Amino acid sequence: MSKAAAVAPSSALGRWWLKWRFHINILLLLIPLGFMPKYFADASLFRGDSGLGEREIGTVQVGPWSLQLAELRNEAPRPDGPAGYMKSFNAALCDTCIDQVKAAYLRIGKPRSLRAAGVIFFGTPYRMGATLPIPERTKDDAELWITLEGWDGSMHQASIPLSEASPATMAWLAQQGGKR
Amino acid sequence: MSSHLFKYPARRVMVAGFLALLGFSGQALAHNPMCECKSLGDDQIRCTGGFSDGSGAPGVTLDVIGYDETILVPGKLGSDSTLTFKRPEGEFYVLFDAGPGHIVEIDQADIE
Repeated sequence: MSKAAAVAPSSALGRWWLKWRFHINILLLLIPLGFMPKYFADASLFRGDSGLGEREIGTVQVGPWSLQLAELRNEAPRPDGPAGYMKSFNAALCDTCIDQVKAAYLRIGKPRSLRAAGVIFFGTPYRMGATLPIPERTKDDAELWITLEGWDGSMHQASIPLSEASPATMAWLAQQGGKR
Repeated sequence: MSSHLFKYPARRVMVAGFLALLGFSGQALAHNPMCECKSLGDDQIRCTGGFSDGSGAPGVTLDVIGYDETILVPGKLGSDSTLTFKRPEGEFYVLFDAGPGHIVEIDQADIE
Protein backbone atom coordinates (compact mmCIF):
# COMPACT_ATOMS: atom_id res chain seq x y z
CA MET A 1 0.00 0.00 0.00
CA SER A 2 1.43 3.34 -0.97
CA LYS A 3 1.63 6.09 1.63
CA ALA A 4 -0.32 8.55 -0.53
CA ALA A 5 -3.28 6.17 -0.71
CA ALA A 6 -3.32 5.73 3.06
CA VAL A 7 -3.47 9.46 3.97
CA ALA A 8 -5.90 10.63 1.31
CA PRO A 9 -9.02 8.40 1.16
CA SER A 10 -11.05 8.95 -1.95
CA SER A 11 -14.59 9.06 -0.48
CA ALA A 12 -16.06 11.99 1.45
CA LEU A 13 -16.97 9.71 4.36
CA GLY A 14 -13.37 8.49 4.52
CA ARG A 15 -12.05 12.01 4.67
CA TRP A 16 -14.60 12.97 7.34
CA TRP A 17 -13.63 9.97 9.44
CA LEU A 18 -9.94 10.74 9.11
CA LYS A 19 -10.52 14.31 10.27
CA TRP A 20 -12.79 13.61 13.25
CA ARG A 21 -11.85 10.13 14.44
CA PHE A 22 -9.94 11.32 17.52
CA HIS A 23 -12.76 13.60 18.67
CA ILE A 24 -15.30 10.86 18.11
CA ASN A 25 -13.23 8.51 20.24
CA ILE A 26 -13.25 11.01 23.08
CA LEU A 27 -17.06 11.11 22.85
CA LEU A 28 -17.02 7.32 23.08
CA LEU A 29 -15.16 7.60 26.38
CA LEU A 30 -17.88 9.94 27.68
CA ILE A 31 -20.68 7.38 27.12
CA PRO A 32 -19.89 5.33 30.28
CA LEU A 33 -20.03 8.49 32.38
CA GLY A 34 -23.78 8.65 31.77
CA PHE A 35 -24.17 5.22 33.42
CA MET A 36 -22.04 6.09 36.45
CA PRO A 37 -24.80 7.46 38.77
CA LYS A 38 -26.87 4.27 38.34
CA TYR A 39 -23.79 2.10 38.74
CA PHE A 40 -22.75 3.71 42.02
CA ALA A 41 -26.36 3.74 43.34
CA ASP A 42 -26.63 -0.02 42.64
CA ALA A 43 -23.20 -0.74 44.15
CA SER A 44 -24.20 1.13 47.31
CA LEU A 45 -27.58 -0.64 47.44
CA PHE A 46 -26.12 -4.13 47.10
CA ARG A 47 -23.29 -3.41 49.54
CA GLY A 48 -25.86 -2.15 52.07
CA ASP A 49 -24.43 1.37 52.33
CA SER A 50 -27.79 2.91 51.44
CA GLY A 51 -29.78 0.75 53.86
CA LEU A 52 -31.60 -2.55 53.63
CA GLY A 53 -33.34 -1.64 50.40
CA GLU A 54 -34.64 1.26 48.35
CA ARG A 55 -37.69 1.57 50.57
CA GLU A 56 -37.75 0.61 54.26
CA ILE A 57 -41.06 -0.94 55.38
CA GLY A 58 -40.17 -0.95 59.08
CA THR A 59 -39.88 -3.48 61.88
CA VAL A 60 -42.38 -6.32 62.03
CA GLN A 61 -42.95 -8.18 65.30
CA VAL A 62 -43.29 -11.94 64.70
CA GLY A 63 -44.10 -13.69 67.98
CA PRO A 64 -41.07 -13.33 70.26
CA TRP A 65 -38.90 -12.24 67.34
CA SER A 66 -38.82 -9.28 65.05
CA LEU A 67 -37.33 -8.41 61.70
CA GLN A 68 -36.73 -5.32 59.64
CA LEU A 69 -38.25 -5.45 56.19
CA ALA A 70 -37.50 -3.44 53.06
CA GLU A 71 -38.30 -3.44 49.37
CA LEU A 72 -35.11 -4.05 47.39
CA ARG A 73 -36.46 -1.78 44.65
CA ASN A 74 -39.23 0.74 45.07
CA GLU A 75 -40.90 -0.37 41.87
CA ALA A 76 -43.52 -2.68 40.38
CA PRO A 77 -42.87 -6.46 40.17
CA ARG A 78 -40.52 -7.53 37.40
CA PRO A 79 -41.48 -10.28 34.95
CA ASP A 80 -39.46 -13.52 35.09
CA GLY A 81 -40.66 -15.31 31.97
CA PRO A 82 -43.14 -18.13 32.50
CA ALA A 83 -42.70 -17.96 36.30
CA GLY A 84 -44.68 -14.71 36.34
CA TYR A 85 -44.00 -11.42 38.07
CA MET A 86 -41.48 -11.26 40.91
CA LYS A 87 -40.90 -8.75 43.69
CA SER A 88 -37.75 -8.76 45.82
CA PHE A 89 -37.71 -8.00 49.53
CA ASN A 90 -34.82 -7.75 51.97
CA ALA A 91 -34.94 -8.45 55.70
CA ALA A 92 -32.71 -8.31 58.75
CA LEU A 93 -33.40 -10.35 61.88
CA CYS A 94 -33.21 -8.68 65.28
CA ASP A 95 -29.83 -9.12 66.96
CA THR A 96 -31.11 -11.38 69.72
CA CYS A 97 -33.09 -13.68 67.40
CA ILE A 98 -30.32 -14.42 64.89
CA ASP A 99 -29.23 -17.51 66.85
CA GLN A 100 -32.78 -18.73 67.36
CA VAL A 101 -34.34 -18.40 63.90
CA LYS A 102 -33.68 -21.20 61.45
CA ALA A 103 -35.59 -19.90 58.45
CA ALA A 104 -37.76 -17.01 57.34
CA TYR A 105 -40.48 -17.24 54.69
CA LEU A 106 -42.64 -14.76 52.82
CA ARG A 107 -46.01 -15.38 51.20
CA ILE A 108 -49.04 -13.46 49.97
CA GLY A 109 -51.96 -14.73 52.02
CA LYS A 110 -51.86 -16.94 55.10
CA PRO A 111 -49.76 -20.08 54.56
CA ARG A 112 -51.64 -23.38 54.65
CA SER A 113 -48.73 -25.14 56.35
CA LEU A 114 -45.05 -24.70 57.14
CA ARG A 115 -44.27 -26.68 54.02
CA ALA A 116 -46.17 -24.14 51.94
CA ALA A 117 -44.92 -21.10 53.87
CA GLY A 118 -43.86 -19.38 50.66
CA VAL A 119 -40.45 -18.27 49.42
CA ILE A 120 -37.47 -18.59 51.74
CA PHE A 121 -35.06 -15.80 52.65
CA PHE A 122 -31.45 -16.35 51.61
CA GLY A 123 -28.26 -14.85 52.91
CA THR A 124 -26.78 -13.54 56.12
CA PRO A 125 -29.36 -12.85 58.87
CA TYR A 126 -28.23 -9.23 58.86
CA ARG A 127 -29.33 -8.87 55.24
CA MET A 128 -31.46 -11.63 53.74
CA GLY A 129 -33.24 -11.53 50.41
CA ALA A 130 -36.34 -13.24 49.01
CA THR A 131 -38.02 -13.01 45.64
CA LEU A 132 -41.77 -13.32 45.91
CA PRO A 133 -44.04 -14.22 42.99
CA ILE A 134 -46.93 -11.76 42.71
CA PRO A 135 -50.00 -13.30 41.00
CA GLU A 136 -51.70 -10.79 38.72
CA ARG A 137 -55.06 -11.53 40.36
CA THR A 138 -53.83 -10.56 43.85
CA LYS A 139 -56.63 -8.72 45.67
CA ASP A 140 -56.39 -5.13 46.92
CA ASP A 141 -56.68 -6.23 50.54
CA ALA A 142 -54.01 -8.93 50.24
CA GLU A 143 -51.64 -9.41 53.14
CA LEU A 144 -47.96 -10.24 53.22
CA TRP A 145 -47.35 -13.08 55.68
CA ILE A 146 -44.00 -13.58 57.36
CA THR A 147 -43.27 -17.01 58.83
CA LEU A 148 -40.29 -17.56 61.12
CA GLU A 149 -39.20 -21.09 61.97
CA GLY A 150 -37.03 -21.57 65.06
CA TRP A 151 -34.31 -24.13 65.70
CA ASP A 152 -36.45 -25.34 68.60
CA GLY A 153 -39.20 -26.31 66.13
CA SER A 154 -41.47 -23.41 66.97
CA MET A 155 -43.18 -21.39 64.26
CA HIS A 156 -44.38 -17.81 64.47
CA GLN A 157 -46.30 -15.79 61.94
CA ALA A 158 -47.23 -12.17 61.36
CA SER A 159 -48.79 -10.24 58.53
CA ILE A 160 -48.79 -6.71 57.16
CA PRO A 161 -51.05 -5.32 54.43
CA LEU A 162 -49.45 -5.58 50.99
CA SER A 163 -50.38 -1.93 50.43
CA GLU A 164 -48.10 -1.07 53.35
CA ALA A 165 -45.35 -3.43 52.25
CA SER A 166 -45.24 -2.23 48.66
CA PRO A 167 -47.34 0.69 47.38
CA ALA A 168 -45.62 0.29 43.99
CA THR A 169 -46.95 -3.29 43.75
CA MET A 170 -50.47 -2.12 44.65
CA ALA A 171 -50.32 0.54 41.93
CA TRP A 172 -49.15 -2.11 39.46
CA LEU A 173 -51.96 -4.48 40.50
CA ALA A 174 -54.51 -1.71 39.96
CA GLN A 175 -53.21 -1.36 36.41
CA GLN A 176 -53.61 -5.11 35.84
CA GLY A 177 -57.32 -4.72 36.68
CA GLY A 178 -58.55 -6.04 33.32
CA LYS A 179 -56.78 -9.39 33.76
CA ARG A 180 -58.35 -10.19 37.13
CA MET B 1 3.56 5.77 10.95
CA SER B 2 1.20 3.28 12.46
CA SER B 3 -1.48 3.20 9.82
CA HIS B 4 -1.15 -0.57 9.49
CA LEU B 5 -2.02 -0.96 13.21
CA PHE B 6 -5.28 0.97 13.05
CA LYS B 7 -7.11 -0.37 10.09
CA TYR B 8 -10.79 0.41 10.21
CA PRO B 9 -12.23 -3.13 10.62
CA ALA B 10 -10.20 -3.79 13.77
CA ARG B 11 -11.41 -0.60 15.34
CA ARG B 12 -15.00 -1.34 14.39
CA VAL B 13 -14.75 -4.70 16.13
CA MET B 14 -13.41 -3.01 19.28
CA VAL B 15 -16.25 -0.48 19.31
CA ALA B 16 -18.81 -3.23 18.80
CA GLY B 17 -17.27 -5.25 21.62
CA PHE B 18 -17.34 -2.28 23.95
CA LEU B 19 -21.02 -1.57 23.24
CA ALA B 20 -21.84 -5.25 23.71
CA LEU B 21 -20.15 -5.23 27.13
CA LEU B 22 -22.29 -2.24 28.14
CA GLY B 23 -25.41 -4.09 27.10
CA PHE B 24 -24.69 -7.29 28.99
CA SER B 25 -23.72 -5.75 32.32
CA GLY B 26 -26.14 -5.82 35.21
CA GLN B 27 -28.16 -8.84 34.12
CA ALA B 28 -29.27 -11.05 36.98
CA LEU B 29 -30.36 -14.61 36.25
CA ALA B 30 -32.95 -16.22 38.48
CA HIS B 31 -34.34 -19.73 38.50
CA ASN B 32 -37.68 -19.53 40.21
CA PRO B 33 -39.78 -22.69 40.45
CA MET B 34 -42.88 -22.89 38.33
CA CYS B 35 -45.65 -25.40 37.81
CA GLU B 36 -48.67 -25.66 35.57
CA CYS B 37 -51.59 -28.05 35.87
CA LYS B 38 -54.13 -28.87 33.18
CA SER B 39 -57.25 -30.93 33.21
CA LEU B 40 -57.11 -33.64 30.54
CA GLY B 41 -60.77 -34.64 30.81
CA ASP B 42 -61.74 -38.09 32.17
CA ASP B 43 -60.97 -36.67 35.65
CA GLN B 44 -57.26 -36.75 34.88
CA ILE B 45 -54.93 -33.84 35.71
CA ARG B 46 -51.43 -33.39 34.33
CA CYS B 47 -48.96 -31.13 36.10
CA THR B 48 -45.69 -29.95 34.56
CA GLY B 49 -42.92 -28.54 36.72
CA GLY B 50 -39.77 -26.64 35.91
CA PHE B 51 -37.68 -23.59 36.61
CA SER B 52 -37.78 -20.17 35.03
CA ASP B 53 -34.28 -20.59 33.58
CA GLY B 54 -35.74 -23.24 31.29
CA SER B 55 -34.55 -26.33 33.14
CA GLY B 56 -36.90 -29.20 33.89
CA ALA B 57 -37.70 -30.77 37.23
CA PRO B 58 -37.55 -34.58 36.90
CA GLY B 59 -37.83 -36.38 40.23
CA VAL B 60 -39.09 -33.34 42.13
CA THR B 61 -41.85 -33.97 44.67
CA LEU B 62 -45.38 -33.01 43.66
CA ASP B 63 -48.08 -33.71 46.21
CA VAL B 64 -51.81 -33.31 45.93
CA ILE B 65 -53.04 -32.15 49.31
CA GLY B 66 -56.57 -31.78 50.64
CA TYR B 67 -57.79 -28.59 52.29
CA ASP B 68 -57.60 -30.55 55.56
CA GLU B 69 -53.82 -31.01 54.95
CA THR B 70 -54.02 -34.77 54.26
CA ILE B 71 -51.81 -35.84 51.37
CA LEU B 72 -54.13 -37.35 48.76
CA VAL B 73 -51.57 -38.17 46.05
CA PRO B 74 -47.89 -38.33 47.05
CA GLY B 75 -45.96 -38.15 43.80
CA LYS B 76 -42.74 -37.36 42.02
CA LEU B 77 -42.41 -35.86 38.56
CA GLY B 78 -41.31 -38.30 35.86
CA SER B 79 -38.33 -37.96 33.55
CA ASP B 80 -40.39 -35.59 31.35
CA SER B 81 -41.07 -33.33 34.39
CA THR B 82 -44.77 -34.20 34.39
CA LEU B 83 -47.12 -36.14 36.62
CA THR B 84 -50.61 -37.29 35.70
CA PHE B 85 -53.07 -38.21 38.41
CA LYS B 86 -56.79 -38.72 38.94
CA ARG B 87 -58.68 -35.67 40.18
CA PRO B 88 -59.37 -36.38 43.86
CA GLU B 89 -62.76 -36.10 45.48
CA GLY B 90 -63.24 -32.99 47.56
CA GLU B 91 -61.22 -29.81 47.75
CA PHE B 92 -57.48 -29.93 47.16
CA TYR B 93 -54.39 -28.05 46.02
CA VAL B 94 -51.24 -29.13 44.20
CA LEU B 95 -47.88 -28.49 45.86
CA PHE B 96 -44.76 -28.52 43.68
CA ASP B 97 -42.03 -28.91 46.29
CA ALA B 98 -38.42 -28.47 45.15
CA GLY B 99 -37.24 -27.89 48.74
CA PRO B 100 -37.99 -25.45 51.57
CA GLY B 101 -38.99 -22.10 50.11
CA HIS B 102 -38.94 -23.47 46.56
CA ILE B 103 -42.58 -24.30 46.16
CA VAL B 104 -45.49 -23.53 43.90
CA GLU B 105 -49.06 -23.97 45.07
CA ILE B 106 -51.88 -24.42 42.62
CA ASP B 107 -55.41 -24.31 43.91
CA GLN B 108 -58.03 -26.62 42.38
CA ALA B 109 -59.92 -23.52 41.20
CA ASP B 110 -56.94 -22.61 38.98
CA ILE B 111 -56.84 -25.97 37.17
CA GLU B 112 -58.71 -25.74 33.88
